[in-house]
Amino acid sequence: MITHPMRNRVAVVGYAHSMIQRRGDRPIGAVAVDTARAAIADSGLTVDQVDGFVSSSLLPSAGGRQVVDGVSIVSSAWLARSLGASPRYVAGFDGIGQLSGSVGMAVNAVISGAADHVLVHRALHNPVGSYHGNPMREVHGAMQWTAPQGFFGPLAMIALPYMEYLQRYGARRESMAAVVIEARKNGARIPWSYWRDRPLAVEQYLAEPTLADPICRLDCDIPVDGVATFVLTSAERARDLPNRPVYVTGYAGSAGAPRRLPLHWPLDDVVSGGADTVQRLWRQTGLTIADVDLPQVYDGFSPFVWFWLEALGLCPAGEAHGFVDSGGIDSDTPGAVPALSGGGALGNGRMHGVPQMLECYLQLSRRAGNRQRDVSVGLACQSAPHFGGVVAYSAEPS
Amino acid sequence: MTATERPLPVPDESSAPYWAATARHVLTVARCGQCGTLTLPPDIVCAACGSTDPAFEFVPVSGRAEVRSWTVVRQAFLPGFDGDLPFVLVDVELAEQADLRLIGRLLDGVEAELRGGAQVRVAYEDLTTEISVPAFELVR
Repeated sequence: MITHPMRNRVAVVGYAHSMIQRRGDRPIGAVAVDTARAAIADSGLTVDQVDGFVSSSLLPSAGGRQVVDGVSIVSSAWLARSLGASPRYVAGFDGIGQLSGSVGMAVNAVISGAADHVLVHRALHNPVGSYHGNPMREVHGAMQWTAPQGFFGPLAMIALPYMEYLQRYGARRESMAAVVIEARKNGARIPWSYWRDRPLAVEQYLAEPTLADPICRLDCDIPVDGVATFVLTSAERARDLPNRPVYVTGYAGSAGAPRRLPLHWPLDDVVSGGADTVQRLWRQTGLTIADVDLPQVYDGFSPFVWFWLEALGLCPAGEAHGFVDSGGIDSDTPGAVPALSGGGALGNGRMHGVPQMLECYLQLSRRAGNRQRDVSVGLACQSAPHFGGVVAYSAEPS
Repeated sequence: MTATERPLPVPDESSAPYWAATARHVLTVARCGQCGTLTLPPDIVCAACGSTDPAFEFVPVSGRAEVRSWTVVRQAFLPGFDGDLPFVLVDVELAEQADLRLIGRLLDGVEAELRGGAQVRVAYEDLTTEISVPAFELVR
């Protein structure tokens, strides 16, 4: 019996990342094609060799806008056609955890033989106008249970489990400063980051007014235009390519939360669903948290960082706030957990799991330049522990 | 009654009895006709017993609930709420069944002293002559 059937059989062999801009000066589709070409070249391949395309094209803006392929989103089908590729496998990930889920499908495609070289991309667009504002006067469907009461949008969504956490564990929102400051410190060191050279001071964070208590603007990643592209192939083929491979040790996606009101994430759902996600990752990979020296937690909203630290077992339940407050995730402190060393979404912009995956890739392939760390096993987390996913990466194939 | 700018629910086959009841200031919850489990909002399949013919019926509940969490909304993303800012939303567990949760405004205002476990009862905001939406107020 094969205990870990996908462990380290597929590798990431190259990447490219666009500049991250508040609003792009070129259509996101054009940026995606340029980035895809750069990633294919970086991998030592040509377009005709790339025969698989996987992505999630979700536009997270809640403004109820018209979605246009190549303009507001970039699907794998659009990208493959625009590249002039002749793919054998084109698929969109429609589950939970846009990038972690796409990587999982790419791994499956390579192992099954559906494709040899799979291009995974994520293209994020920041539409003109209010990102979450919605002029609706009539509420149809699921939102009729919440929007008439004024419960709407992701700020209120994350505020409720965050407040529940503060109450349950006697935590204070001031302890979140350590998370946001850490993300911005590391993001300021990333050349393509929207926040390059712009770290944040604790005083700035604490002075920011709340929008939906206890959430303030600085707890939210900023909407941006940006594209990242990765190429995956088999471990065997990766040996003949120019970059040092980074192996996918395994992945786990959330099974899905209990049925609730729309956008209702009670803290207990986050905790129990997160425990399930992480246990499946350990079972599938054979890893434990003790093997991981580069956990990259998701931080699209800052409370996710506390939730992931606890779900992964990097600190006990209810103690993440004190853990970060005492320097537990300071990437510049030897012995601390470099959980946001890649800057995360708070330090790069709303790139939906890209900063976490890219940091794993850059560090484990020894391509992180002057940020290089001596690490060997990474985790790239996405979204919430109960409503997201996580991929494990290794520098060595064993 | 002045015309509200707030978004109004459009009752459909899954919700019409609920909104008809709230218009009479009666809070109801969907009950599975097969296993009796209460749920909101009802799905096509009962999440508790798996019945594909759950025959949900909206049954009145006491309106008593306990606060699990809350937020103070200071920026509205929907029309019609700007005049109410800031306002409190409470995430409550209804008395009738463990983990049966509902979210609504707390009409006591932002100065009200809130804590996890605080007791509330249902109240109503009459948005039009046909539509009232459930909210909550503290039991003192």
